[in-house]
Amino acid sequence: MTIKYKSQKIAESFYTFSILLFLVQVLVGIIAAVQFIWPDILILNFNTIRTLHINALVVWLLAGMMGATYYVVPEESETETWSVPLAKLQFWATVLAVTAVIIGYIWMGLSPQANSLVLGTRLLNEGREYIEAPRWADILIVISVLLFLFNNFMTMLKTKKWTGIQGTLLGGLTVLALMYLPGMFYTKSMVEDQFWWWWVVHLWVEGAWEVIAGALLAFMLMKLVGVKREVVEKWMYVEVGLVLFTGILGLGHHYYWIGTPKYWLWVGGIFSSLEPIPLLIMVWDAFRTTREARVVTNKAGLYYTVAHAIFNFVGAGLWGVIHTLPQVNKWTHGTQITTAHGHLAFYGAYVLLVLSIIYVTLPALRGVKEFNSSRALQSFWWMTISMVFIVLTITGAGMVQTYMERLMGLDYVAVKSTYNLWFWIFRVIFGIGFLIGVAIFVKDYFKIGKEPVSAAERG
Amino acid sequence: MGSNKGVRNLFIFGSLFFFVILIVLTFDTLSKLPGRAPEITEDVNAGKMAWHKYDCIGCHTIFGNGSYFAPDLTKTTDKKPEAYLKRFLIDPKSVNPKASMPKLGIMPEEADQIIVFLKWIAKVDTNDWPPKPILAGAAGVGGRELTAGERLYQSSGCSECHMINGIGGTTAPDLTHIGNTRDKAWLFGHFKNPPAYTPDSAMPAVEASDGEIEQLTEYMLTLK
Repeated sequence: MTIKYKSQKIAESFYTFSILLFLVQVLVGIIAAVQFIWPDILILNFNTIRTLHINALVVWLLAGMMGATYYVVPEESETETWSVPLAKLQFWATVLAVTAVIIGYIWMGLSPQANSLVLGTRLLNEGREYIEAPRWADILIVISVLLFLFNNFMTMLKTKKWTGIQGTLLGGLTVLALMYLPGMFYTKSMVEDQFWWWWVVHLWVEGAWEVIAGALLAFMLMKLVGVKREVVEKWMYVEVGLVLFTGILGLGHHYYWIGTPKYWLWVGGIFSSLEPIPLLIMVWDAFRTTREARVVTNKAGLYYTVAHAIFNFVGAGLWGVIHTLPQVNKWTHGTQITTAHGHLAFYGAYVLLVLSIIYVTLPALRGVKEFNSSRALQSFWWMTISMVFIVLTITGAGMVQTYMERLMGLDYVAVKSTYNLWFWIFRVIFGIGFLIGVAIFVKDYFKIGKEPVSAAERG
Repeated sequence: MGSNKGVRNLFIFGSLFFFVILIVLTFDTLSKLPGRAPEITEDVNAGKMAWHKYDCIGCHTIFGNGSYFAPDLTKTTDKKPEAYLKRFLIDPKSVNPKASMPKLGIMPEEADQIIVFLKWIAKVDTNDWPPKPILAGAAGVGGRELTAGERLYQSSGCSECHMINGIGGTTAPDLTHIGNTRDKAWLFGHFKNPPAYTPDSAMPAVEASDGEIEQLTEYMLTLK
């Protein structure tokens, strides 16, 4: 198996950048977990480490999705990418911009006064959770994403094969680009600040990103088990449609307590309670189609794809819905329960998605028909078991915190430093387990297609 | 794909329909925000700028959103005295040796602005969040009538900073065994004028009549 179009090769650069940042993300994640026990362990404070942990995550997932798009669009359009030099320029511009932003975060962490005001905006760190990147970097990110979208739209225009998969994929990516804009202006009111900030955060991860996930899931099921396009695309429309019907107004579950009107308790409560439904349909879709499969050559790809569907539902769906009703959220809001949900949701919905698409497309990119899937499965179990336990420890910490701090009225610091100490210790241990899984994955990524496969190892 | 046209159109137009509803609600919400919070003065805005400059959200939460690593600051100015907050912001360990917060180099005028900003935050109508803790707020725990001193301890908000038997704040000394270490005269005088007894104290004087302060002192003496 090889790639049909030479330009698809550009996907591999994005994948490599993506998984290196994945490694960085998990390494700093372990440091952050240790800082819950010893806050002063490193010269960089928790805020810098956490910013690196989450920004690395967002960027590596986006880079993975971009790589996937450069692979999927030529295949769906049955032609070469419109401009390979432009794709390469966009890749290196992204790498440079991301590196500059990371250096800025570290600089600001070492010397907060360096975060000076330039043209009305902060030079190194905007001080807004998740979207800390300064305004100059925002502009570079927007330019990079626009070049990326333009290049792929031009590819599609060459043959005008408007398949549902690539239409939905590019549609999701366009919404993603547009939804970055509400985070790019300053407001004097902290209420308004958080209001628009949630547009970016929520309409990305519970909107545009889930649409992209739906399109990529359809593509992978088609490639892995050879389901008819008409069938996968029909279910893809049902899934991404329900994602947006519930998710757009599900935004209301972030507007309960930030100073916005009370009607959001009704809007958010009702719509966000329905958000797990499309994720459950995706699980059913994955099982239904793979049951029909007779011969599967890419066992690892299939494994990760089905796991993505399951953990998307468990992490984003179930772990979200348990605290989404205002009556519950009133007590759990702002506790570790949210952290637990965040970890399992991102692992299931997006980490496994990007790793799946890498396993589905990498054999062709490396020009091999088969590869030994034992390392892929080993890495999968190390990561998944560790993540499940990380999430259970944080959920436990969140339950203790909710009861002791919110219901009993104990002090935040007392609960964190004494009653929850063992949860933090276990989280570090399972964090190291997760790192082992990632290391195995990274090794596998660089080895696939570069070592011989014996007959016994096949499958 | 011809046969999927119906479901595709349902996806596109259905999503647009819900997005339009979101836009309408957004306009309505934005028009109602000024009525749900005090006016934003230049100092409030300067405090917000300083809030962003030091990346406070990288550890703390505000309105429950943020990093869950340090306390939520939505109602902080209702709980802690301003003098304490100012000194804490400038050099946390100088007023609370056990504090995890590092000295960030916050300047005195920035500390003042951040406090004004946090006071504004505390007055925002958050639909009653954070909720009042059920157990700590209950009067007459265990069916016993509270003494006058205990009632004053609760109503003055002493437990926002001090702790007794594990309930209360951690920013001021623990009072669980205070009856062993301080006598009546010291406690009474200290309540009336804290800095005279503890140099550099960030505690405000207890505002109550001498009779009430005596009852509070009696209560402290029972803590052994």
